[in-house]
Amino acid sequence: MIRLEHVSFRYRSATDPVLRDVSCHIRRGELVGLLGRSGAGRSTLASTLNGTIPHLVRGDLAGRVLIDGEEIGARRPRDLADRIGFVFQDFEAQLFSTNVPLEVAFGPENLGVERAEIARRVDACLGVVRLSHLRHKAPAALSGGQKQRLALASVLALEPKILVLDEPTSDLDPAGRRELLEAIRSIRRTRDLTLVMIDPETDEMGWADRLIVLDQGRVALDGTPAALWDRADEMDALGVKGFTLARLARRLGMAERWVDADAAAGAIRRAGWVGAPNAGARLRAADAAQAGGEVLLEVDGLAHRYPDGTEALSDIRCVVRRGEFVAILGQNGSGKTTLVKHLNGILAPSAGDIRLQGRSLRGQSATALSRRVGLVFQNPDHQIFAERIWDEVAFGPRLQGLPDTEVAARVEEALEAVGLTGMGDVDPFILTKGTRQRIAVASTLATKPEVIILDEPTTGLDHAELQGMMALIRRLNEAGHTILIITHAMDVAAAYARRVILMQGGRILRDGPTREVFADEAGIGQTGLTPPPIVQVGNRLGVPALTLDELVSSLSPAAQPPRRPAAAPHP
Amino acid sequence: MNLFLYLDRQSPVHRLDPRTKLCLLLASFLSAVLFVTPAPLVSLLAVLLAYGAVGRALGNLRRIWFLLLSIAAVSVVSWSIFAGGATPLFWRVTAESLAYGIGAALKIDAMIISGLVFLSTTRTEEMVLGLIRMRVPFQMAFAFSLAIRMVPTIIGTAVTVTEAQRSRGLDTESGGPLTRLRTYVPLLVPIFLHTLRNTDQLAKALESRGFGARHERTSLLTIGFHGRDAVALVAGLVVLGLFVATRILSGP
Repeated sequence: MIRLEHVSFRYRSATDPVLRDVSCHIRRGELVGLLGRSGAGRSTLASTLNGTIPHLVRGDLAGRVLIDGEEIGARRPRDLADRIGFVFQDFEAQLFSTNVPLEVAFGPENLGVERAEIARRVDACLGVVRLSHLRHKAPAALSGGQKQRLALASVLALEPKILVLDEPTSDLDPAGRRELLEAIRSIRRTRDLTLVMIDPETDEMGWADRLIVLDQGRVALDGTPAALWDRADEMDALGVKGFTLARLARRLGMAERWVDADAAAGAIRRAGWVGAPNAGARLRAADAAQAGGEVLLEVDGLAHRYPDGTEALSDIRCVVRRGEFVAILGQNGSGKTTLVKHLNGILAPSAGDIRLQGRSLRGQSATALSRRVGLVFQNPDHQIFAERIWDEVAFGPRLQGLPDTEVAARVEEALEAVGLTGMGDVDPFILTKGTRQRIAVASTLATKPEVIILDEPTTGLDHAELQGMMALIRRLNEAGHTILIITHAMDVAAAYARRVILMQGGRILRDGPTREVFADEAGIGQTGLTPPPIVQVGNRLGVPALTLDELVSSLSPAAQPPRRPAAAPHP
Repeated sequence: MNLFLYLDRQSPVHRLDPRTKLCLLLASFLSAVLFVTPAPLVSLLAVLLAYGAVGRALGNLRRIWFLLLSIAAVSVVSWSIFAGGATPLFWRVTAESLAYGIGAALKIDAMIISGLVFLSTTRTEEMVLGLIRMRVPFQMAFAFSLAIRMVPTIIGTAVTVTEAQRSRGLDTESGGPLTRLRTYVPLLVPIFLHTLRNTDQLAKALESRGFGARHERTSLLTIGFHGRDAVALVAGLVVLGLFVATRILSGP
C-alpha cells in the first residue's frame, strides 16, 4: 500500500537531514504506530506520504514514495486528498467552518462530489465518530475531544484508503483521548483503511499491528507490539517509553505479555506474589514524613463567573503548605487553569478570597505577586519573545528593577537549574519544544518565586524530555519551592506529586494524598480518569504503590504458588 | 467562550439570500454617509434596529455595547471641541459642533450595527457562496472568510499571551505612552509568531482536505433568490430612496 524507497529529506534551513535513507513497506489494512523522540523524523516521514513534503515544506527530498505502486512524485496533497487523509495534532487549525456538517462537507465539496452524495457522507461520517447529535453546534463550541473527532470525520468524508494521524491525541484530555481512540477502532472495523499513527504513548499503541521506532531519521526498530514488548531498554535508549507492564513483568522475572492491569494482576497473583505485610503502612509512613510546613496559600470559598454568567469555579476551598508538591487533575473544562490563574492574581475572584501567608490577594498587583507566585503557562510559545535565551530569562528580574549584577546572577542560576548553562546567546525559536519549555521555567525561576505553578509542563514532550522536565521540577521542590502542577499524565502525578486535587465541573471532588486518591479507583473514575497501569495493578493486589519500584518492593514471593488441595483418595 | 458573531437561529433575515443581505448592508452604508445631522441618522438607526430585531440579532449588541458606547463618546467629545460653529454653548463647544459630533457617533454606530446584523444572520459559508455567485473567484472569497475566522483565534491568542506576560510581572496597565509601547513588544512577538504557525498548520490542513483540487466546486449549502428577497430588496430600495430624497430636499 505504502512503500518508501531510500527516502531522505533535509529541511531547507537545516544543515543535517531529518530522514536518512528510510525504506519500509506498509501493507494494506495495517495499523502502524510511528514512535520516536522529538526530532527523530516521525512527522517529517508522515509528511512525505501525501506530498506535504516537498510541496508545502521546502527542502531536499531524495528517494521514492509509492502509494499503491504509483510514485506520488509531482502530486500535491490536494490531488491525493481522496486517497490519503491527514489528521493533525492541532485540532483548532484544521477546523474552519461555522457548523459541524459544513465542516465535514468541505473536503467532498472541494473534490466536486455531487450534493446528495455529500449529504450521505456527512451523515455516515458523523455517525462513525458519534457526533450526529451535535450537528447544529459550531465547531468552535465543541470540546477538544469532539473537535478532534470532527477533524477525523471531515477527513473520512473524502473516503481515503490511507489515514495518517500525526499525534492526534497529544492535546486532548484523557476522556478525549479515549473517545478518539474508540472512534478509530470502530472505523477499523467497518472500513478498509490503512492507518499510520504517530503517538508518543507506547502504552496506548499495544493494539497496533506494527510499531516502527525512528531514531535520527532512520528506522531503529520495526516489529509487532508483541515483538517489542520486552525491549523497553532499547526503546528507552531511543527516547521512547517502553511498555510499562513489560517492565513490571521483567522485574518480577516473568516473561508474559499482559494486555491490561487486570491481566497483569491475575498473572502476578497466580505466580505466587502477594503484598508484603505492612507494605501499605510502610509506604504511608514515608508519605507522612514529607508533609508540608506552614500554610502558604489559602483558597477560601473561591468562585469565578465569566461575563456571560457561566460559573467556571464554585466554592473552592483548599490550602497549600510550604514545600508541598501538588498535582491538580481533571478533564479539560473542569476549572484547573482558571483556578491557578487566581493564585497569582491574573484573574480576580467573583466571590471568596485567596490569601498568601494570611494576606488577601485582593488589591495586590499581579506584578508584585509574580515575585512570589510564578505561573508557567502550558505553551511556552505564548510567552517567549526575545531573540536570545539570556534576555528571555532576564525579562522578569529586569521588570523587578533589580541591578544588572543581580539580574545576571539570577539568569545564570536559572539557566543552570534547567540545564541550559552557556546557551544564553542561542535563539529560543530554533530549539525543540522541550527546550523552549525549559526556557519558560527558567524565566519564572529567575524571579525566585516561593510557589511555582506549572500548567501541563509535559504536554508535547517526548519521553526523555518528560523525564528531564519532571526531574527538574522535583529538584526545584527539593530546593524549597512549593510546586503545583496541572497535568493529564496520571503516571507523572503518581510518581511525583505527594498530594492530588481532583477537579470536576468547577469544583474540587477530592483533595488528599496521591496514594489515597489513586487507591480509590471508583472515586477518581467519576471524573473519567483512571490511575496509571502500575497503580491499577497495585490496587488489584492490595498494595497502594505509586511507582514501579514501590510496587516491586511491596510484593513478596513468600507464598508458594497456590496448589489445588490434593483430593482425598477414593476408598 | 464563543467569539463568533453568527447566531444559529431561524428568522426571516437568516433565510434571505446572502447577496440580498450584502445589498442591504451596502444600502445602509450609503444612507449613513449621506448625512451629518443627527435627526435622519436617528431614523436610520431605528430602521436598522428593527431589521436586527426581525433577524433576532440584537442579542449580539450586548457583546459590543462597550465598543459602540466608547466610539460614540470619543466622537461626541472630540468633534464638539474641534469642529467649531457659530452658536457657542460653553467653552469651545458650539451647538453645531455638538450636533456634528452626535451625528458622527450615530453614523459610525449605525454602520457597525448594520455589519453586526449581517454577520449575526449570515454564515461565512453563505457569504462565500454569495460572493462566488457574484463572480468573485472561490479562492479570494474563501480567503475573505478565513480572515473573519482568524479574528477570534487571534483574540484568543492575545488574551493568553497577555496573561502569560502579566504572570511574569509585565505591567500592561500603567506607564506613559513610551513605556506602553515597549510593553507591547513581549505581547506582539508571541502573538505574531503563534498566528504565523497557526496559518502554516491551516494551509497544510486545507491542502490535505483537497482545497483547490478542482476548478469546479460543489456545495452542500444552497442559496437562491426567492420572493422574500424581492420584498427585502424593494423595502431596502424604498428606504434608501427616502433617505436620498431627504438629503436632496434638505439642501447642501
